[in-house]
Amino acid sequence: MAATGEREDPAFPVGAACRIDSRSPWRQVAEIPVGLDPEGIAVDVARRRAFVACSRSDFVSVVDLDKHEVVAEIQTGAEPIDIGLDVQTGRVFTADAHSDQVTVIDSATLEVETALPVGGYPSGLTHVPEFRRLYVGNSLGSTMSVIDLDTLETVATVDAEPGAGAIGVDPTRGLVICVNFVAASANFYDAGSFEEVGRLELGTGTCAIGIVPERGEAFIVNSIAGTVSLVDLDAIEVVDETRTGQAPVGLTVAPAHDRIYVTNRGAGTLSVLGVADRQEWSQIPVGNGPGGVVVDPYDGRIFVANAGSQTVSIVEDLLAAKPPAPVVEEASPWLGNKLPSFALEDYRTGERRTNRDWAEKKYILNFFASW
Amino acid sequence: MREGARSGLEVVLVDIWEGTEPRPEVERFCEMWGIKGPILLDPAGELATTLGVRGVPTNVVVDSDGTIRAFGAARLDELEQAIDDLYGRA
Repeated sequence: MAATGEREDPAFPVGAACRIDSRSPWRQVAEIPVGLDPEGIAVDVARRRAFVACSRSDFVSVVDLDKHEVVAEIQTGAEPIDIGLDVQTGRVFTADAHSDQVTVIDSATLEVETALPVGGYPSGLTHVPEFRRLYVGNSLGSTMSVIDLDTLETVATVDAEPGAGAIGVDPTRGLVICVNFVAASANFYDAGSFEEVGRLELGTGTCAIGIVPERGEAFIVNSIAGTVSLVDLDAIEVVDETRTGQAPVGLTVAPAHDRIYVTNRGAGTLSVLGVADRQEWSQIPVGNGPGGVVVDPYDGRIFVANAGSQTVSIVEDLLAAKPPAPVVEEASPWLGNKLPSFALEDYRTGERRTNRDWAEKKYILNFFASW
Repeated sequence: MREGARSGLEVVLVDIWEGTEPRPEVERFCEMWGIKGPILLDPAGELATTLGVRGVPTNVVVDSDGTIRAFGAARLDELEQAIDDLYGRA
């Protein structure tokens, strides 16, 4: 599979011992075409595969991580958004938003085992091997479903708030945290009793969470506000806010817990943020409209699902530590220049519209996608 | 966008990267969010590519002589600042 940007470089083999690179703080390894609107990713370390939930295709793309190509597609319910793999049972779980269900896939046979009903519009899930639990955030149902990973029984349905989606768990403190996109809030539950023990108001469009238990910290992405909130898990309060790139939506904690990775859907980049200093260490270019992000525990490579490109980027973060110079975002070369001519179909009238239709007017072109 | 409307500034939406027939997706999106006003379809993302758009949302603020005055501005405060700059407001 062809890589974009810098190619695989034998002089810089993969591994934590090789993370110092005087030439570039990152390296692009591959960009792999998958189904439409890829969102969640899960890595099967043992079989060297990645499972990618392609929400507009209603299937999971299975990617061979050595060949960097799709080797299978597994049909799910409608609009699979998030995905997770339980190593102990070998089961892959997808949150199928438009089917109000979780599809269960056998990662060995790549066959669908069953589908589990959950609340309305499940859009996020997290599994916790220590608790043998799968937590599912149901956005329209404003609930969180709790499923036994072994028996596949729903053991609890807990009230959350509108837009419930991403879920974080701190096993050390026995805390389950449900992040609510529409309500711009997070609910904190006792992992045993599911009693709500705290609630936080957050920035607009809260949509992803990562936990660093040994520091007692959670990082929560606020996509519309364009920030990452740092939450003290003992006090259950926001203690800091950091700006990232445009429209951050995805987040994962690096295996060393010294940094987090945040995808910026509005910028086509991945921000590397220091856990201790909350500073942006670098921005790694990925595909268009990036969302889901995970790290392969095998080699530390980062996988990013690009909804706009319909690809998965594989990149390496080569920074050993915080760089001496701060990140400076480059301004668009179009700033101060004339908008190029365009002729596009008007969705409402079917007519061709051109720059001339807005001649001598001030206006904003707002590029968007419905996903 | 509300700030834009208050300023008499027209907001033109450009739909990109649907990966499928865009009309039903745009219809669903407009219904869900109550969106009015002009929407242009750029299914292959040609204008986006020309401009170097790499994510959504991306706002391109255009002056009356066709000059691009701001690019990106996904955050509300950035967009408000860009509009203030466009109208020469402090």
